[in-house]
Amino acid sequence: MKTLLHCLTIAAAVLLFAACGKKEEAPKPAPAPPATVAPAPAPVAVATITVGKAIGADRKVSAPVDAFAKGDTIYASIDTSGSGNATLKAKWTYEKAGKTAIVKEDSQALAATGPATSEFHIAKPDGWPAGDYVVEIFLDDKPAGTKKFAVK
Amino acid sequence: MTDDGKMPDFSNVQGGSSSTATKIYVVVAGDSLSRIAKREYGDANLWKRIFDANTDLLKDPDKIFPGQKLKIPPK
Repeated sequence: MKTLLHCLTIAAAVLLFAACGKKEEAPKPAPAPPATVAPAPAPVAVATITVGKAIGADRKVSAPVDAFAKGDTIYASIDTSGSGNATLKAKWTYEKAGKTAIVKEDSQALAATGPATSEFHIAKPDGWPAGDYVVEIFLDDKPAGTKKFAVK
Repeated sequence: MTDDGKMPDFSNVQGGSSSTATKIYVVVAGDSLSRIAKREYGDANLWKRIFDANTDLLKDPDKIFPGQKLKIPPK
């Protein structure tokens, strides 16, 4: 009897130990969703170039023309899309009889956060010589477009 | 082209630029905020607009240094 009691005590202890030692399986974490990478913002790009005699507060040419008078201030308005840092350059040249002269070069560095409009302008106190002119626009030193106009 | 075949003189051409985007201006020797405001906005009194846009860089409006890149907010 004593042996039986002893055996039962050991069996109970083993069962109790087994019951306590049983671990509940932790639920498996849900698989992480695939990492989504925000698309990189589009870099600055030149959309349109217009020339005219006046601009508005939005830097856009109010009335595009391609012929100017001697005393006009000449504006080139450049619409850009995209964001980031970029440098716009305007190179104004005069062309006549196969020869070219540089009229003026200007540049401006921008920190665009979206669509923007920039302008360059030139004026000549003693009046523009008649002839054909070109304004070339460069974006980070790469050609981005040209516009021809004339002074008559 | 002039009558004698020479190209016209464009040395007195005046130019400028502006943008609806923030411009970046690199300070050169002799610059002051009011001088930059005069050039960028046509009004030297608007120097504080430039200072306010660059408080991360400038602590004293009278102390700017060549090479500093200042943000020039649209006028």
